[in-house]
Amino acid sequence: MTLPRMRRLAVGAAATLFLAGCAGGTTGSTNDGGDKPVAAISQADIDKAMKTPTELTFWTWLPDIEKEVALFQKKYPAISVKVINAGNSQAEYTKLRTALKAGSGAPDVVQIEYQHIPGFTITGGLLDLRPYGAEALKDRFVDWAWGQVSGRNGEVWAIPQDTGPMGMLYRKDIFDKHGIEPPKTWDEFAAAARKLHAADPSVYLTNFPTNHNSIWTGLMWQAGVKPFQMKSADQVSVDVAGETSKKLASYWSGLVKEGVLSADADFSDQWFQGLNKGRYATWLTAAWGPLFLSTSAKETRGKWRVAPLPQWTAGEQKSGNWGGSTSAVVKTTKNPIAAAMFAQFLNTDPESAKMLTTLQFLYPPTKALLSDQGFVDQKSDFYGGQQVNKVFADISDTVPADFTWLPFMDQINNDWNETVGKSLADKTDTDAALDKWQQTITTFAEKQGFKVAR
Amino acid sequence: MSVMTVPPSRRASARRNGVGYLFVAPFLLVFVAMLVAPLAYAGYLSLFREQLIGGVSFSGLDNYIQALSDERLLDGVLRVSRFFLVQVPIMLGLALSFALALDSGMMWLSRVIRLGIFLPYAVPGVIAALMWSYLYGPQFGPITQLAEALGLPAPNLLSSDLMLGSVANIVTWEFTGYNMIILYAALRAIPTELYEAAAVDGAGAWRIAWNVKIPALRPALLMALIFSVIGSFQLFNEPELLQRLAPNVIDSAYTPNMYTYSMAFISQDVNYAAAVSFLLGLVIVVVSYTVQFAVARRRT
Amino acid sequence: MTVTATAPPRAATGAAHSAAAGRRRSPLLTLGMLAAFVYFLLPLFWLVVAATKSTGALFSSFGLWFGDDFALPANVRNVFTADGGVYVDWLLNTAMYALVSAGGAALLAALGGYGFAKFAFRGNRLLFGAVLGAIMVPSTALVIPTYLIFSNVGLVNTPWAVILPSLANPFGLYLMRVYVEGAVPDSILEAARIDGAGEFRIFRQVVLRLLAPGFVTVLLFTLVATWNNYFLPLIMLNNPSLYPVTVGLANWAARASVGGGGTGDVIPLVVTGSLLSIIPLIAAFLMLQRYWQNGLTAGGVKQ
Repeated sequence: MTLPRMRRLAVGAAATLFLAGCAGGTTGSTNDGGDKPVAAISQADIDKAMKTPTELTFWTWLPDIEKEVALFQKKYPAISVKVINAGNSQAEYTKLRTALKAGSGAPDVVQIEYQHIPGFTITGGLLDLRPYGAEALKDRFVDWAWGQVSGRNGEVWAIPQDTGPMGMLYRKDIFDKHGIEPPKTWDEFAAAARKLHAADPSVYLTNFPTNHNSIWTGLMWQAGVKPFQMKSADQVSVDVAGETSKKLASYWSGLVKEGVLSADADFSDQWFQGLNKGRYATWLTAAWGPLFLSTSAKETRGKWRVAPLPQWTAGEQKSGNWGGSTSAVVKTTKNPIAAAMFAQFLNTDPESAKMLTTLQFLYPPTKALLSDQGFVDQKSDFYGGQQVNKVFADISDTVPADFTWLPFMDQINNDWNETVGKSLADKTDTDAALDKWQQTITTFAEKQGFKVAR
Repeated sequence: MSVMTVPPSRRASARRNGVGYLFVAPFLLVFVAMLVAPLAYAGYLSLFREQLIGGVSFSGLDNYIQALSDERLLDGVLRVSRFFLVQVPIMLGLALSFALALDSGMMWLSRVIRLGIFLPYAVPGVIAALMWSYLYGPQFGPITQLAEALGLPAPNLLSSDLMLGSVANIVTWEFTGYNMIILYAALRAIPTELYEAAAVDGAGAWRIAWNVKIPALRPALLMALIFSVIGSFQLFNEPELLQRLAPNVIDSAYTPNMYTYSMAFISQDVNYAAAVSFLLGLVIVVVSYTVQFAVARRRT
Repeated sequence: MTVTATAPPRAATGAAHSAAAGRRRSPLLTLGMLAAFVYFLLPLFWLVVAATKSTGALFSSFGLWFGDDFALPANVRNVFTADGGVYVDWLLNTAMYALVSAGGAALLAALGGYGFAKFAFRGNRLLFGAVLGAIMVPSTALVIPTYLIFSNVGLVNTPWAVILPSLANPFGLYLMRVYVEGAVPDSILEAARIDGAGEFRIFRQVVLRLLAPGFVTVLLFTLVATWNNYFLPLIMLNNPSLYPVTVGLANWAARASVGGGGTGDVIPLVVTGSLLSIIPLIAAFLMLQRYWQNGLTAGGVKQ
């Protein structure tokens, strides 16, 4: 063999997704943010800063975001924004964390997913945007998106950019063929799963991926579980194995063990083929899913429809969220005013926000767009002419607002794979796996110096 | 060390040998800056611990003590030991057979075949994983489809029973050709007289291979073996890439090196990761010397 | 790790034989080796086939044969035009990093290998042992310390952050030392010294020439290592216009599956981009075949 050192460094493409962690960095002092009252920056200071020639660096993995940036630069010609694609999510966070640790090299503005914000705020990596007028934007966003960018003491750590309220994409042709109605409740969903697989053993009602916990977390969210909460600066509550979670576990592990659902890794080659070849009759996904599907399963054009997630209680309407990100300002910025104004402009300027939905296909968190006719009335041929955005706009109203995250979500997510995910894949005791998950999170949190409540 | 011819005069030789420092200095300079300094820094970090709440504190050898009783680490070390004991003999056995076959001059198309087998070495691990993950696919992968077409039960190559074998297959695919070339090159350098002598004695191809060629390959095989020790115990890329397809089979402590990686980048525990790395380095040194010692003893 | 040298220098340039030349050829052996040949090329065949397909065909037609459409030209065009043609930057970056690293590493290894092989200075064995011992420690834990050191001297997000760590190649040093022992007879050095040549002139004018095959070997192996390097540039570089092709492709691949604004259409880009990226390496190996095979001969045979 050769050069083991070099060979080892050549990690793979696929691995980037799972590259690196995101529980806080290590730069010493813990910053719990604003117990002190914050003084607003005066409009005069803002005006002055926005007329001073400034260069900002913006890390984002959105393609072609330069178009939106150009709108900002047109309005503020003195400010120039350098867009850098520093990698997708984890790859970017790893760089941001190392740069923060080194004390140089971090950008001014950065794209961060909701669940990873606390990992950066606990080490003092992000700037509280309240002094820059961010609080006034609260009413423009759906409350559950705003809740996720808000700190425990009312800080505004980032501006929401897009969201992923969860729904169900289903194959109308397969449903029709077997006389299945789109399930409205999880009970109907389970019955449909059994019926479908019995009628055609090569088809599963859905695939429950065991390679990440995004869907699991979204389903906890839908079921009203509040698994991750910061109680105080050094106290967290972890509740991933309570009664409701156990109910979820017995439901999903039951169907997987019966063999009427598949448990393949998603976003894998096999999974793409499964979508194309009709192995899965539904995809439980988020509002960004419809477009993704239409580009990766082109063969199935016209066969899909969109519906809300099935419910635990008939007649109720609840959903969870999967994905979505924000624009945050890094604490080390030398131009906090311009950076904060840019983060706000990008996601709230009507033209820029609309562009994010049409050029980058993001699902909007702003109330204005969610009720914008041009946006919600669009019809999609891939979904048989259905108004997909409208369905998800309605779902967006049903996402509970009080879901929060802990500062070490990477550890938590990784532990899920090795406990709950593993038990689903191996068809072993998911109940015990949930307890194990609870326990590994607790152990990690305590090792990091947190007090842990259930 | 190399044996040098007797120098003309001791003093001149001592002065000249001093020039040796100048020759090795550029390499050592870069080596110190790029490897020793980070190593020393990592060694320093391994003596501390750092918490999200509470910050950095000196912890002496605590990380090392913790690592020695860390069952996940131990499991990983045992797994790569198993890997080493099975995969390396297969890979080097294949490489040796291929090299002997090429050297025998008894085949057609030997140039083309030689290059074809060597080609995977030039393929980045990233791309190798992309290709194999397709071939391994449990429903639509060609291996499964072939088994189904023949009416055989399709093996799930990504299940926990077969995973280590699937990893071993990728490593074998990537590095057999490389080892083959090294061995083949060594074979080509064996002095012709040795063959002629054997041929005169009436030895056939098999006997020449066994009695003349393989003993002559011993140093080349030893080198390949030592690098395989390092490669096996530092196994990382291939399981890391397959983890995406089967994260429940390959956990974050599947191999010791994946464990240090996960500690450094998922658990944000650079300090513990550094300690584990040094312990793993120690294991590799011990195994390498054991292998060398075993080979040397057999020779005498 | 000291594979000691006792044998006299053997012909390092492949002058040896093929004892069996002219021996009867065996169809059975050829068939067996052809089977191995198929195994080693099968995944690459998949890559070639996959590069000819559009997204739809990629996931709906049988993977080991061509589909109905032939999308290769379109795929290649898309690879070179996506994101403003950044793929060309990536290829050029990779070539630049790999060539500079490989050239530098081979030169340092040649100097060092010669120094270690031919000069009995104090500490020779100890230093050489230390160099080889260092590769035993896994480098995963070194990435963060290296980043912090580089950050302090302002090297992060520059090409040097990728090139400098590749310059110290212990395996290359080992190979070169062994090679020097085989290919550079002491008598030539003595003759040159008697002619009054300085040590560095001897190296430049006599030794380097004798070392050419070993030099090319180390060059190629470092080239492969740098070409395939992924993790280090991933951490060290922020700017996509500085990325090597591995990191760039990984970036595209990640786009195919990350939630939010993702699209499955990039998969043919990744597949075709992968195929195009390994072609230069394979070409380099084919063209320089004679050199590296001879270079390895010395590395392998010494005892």
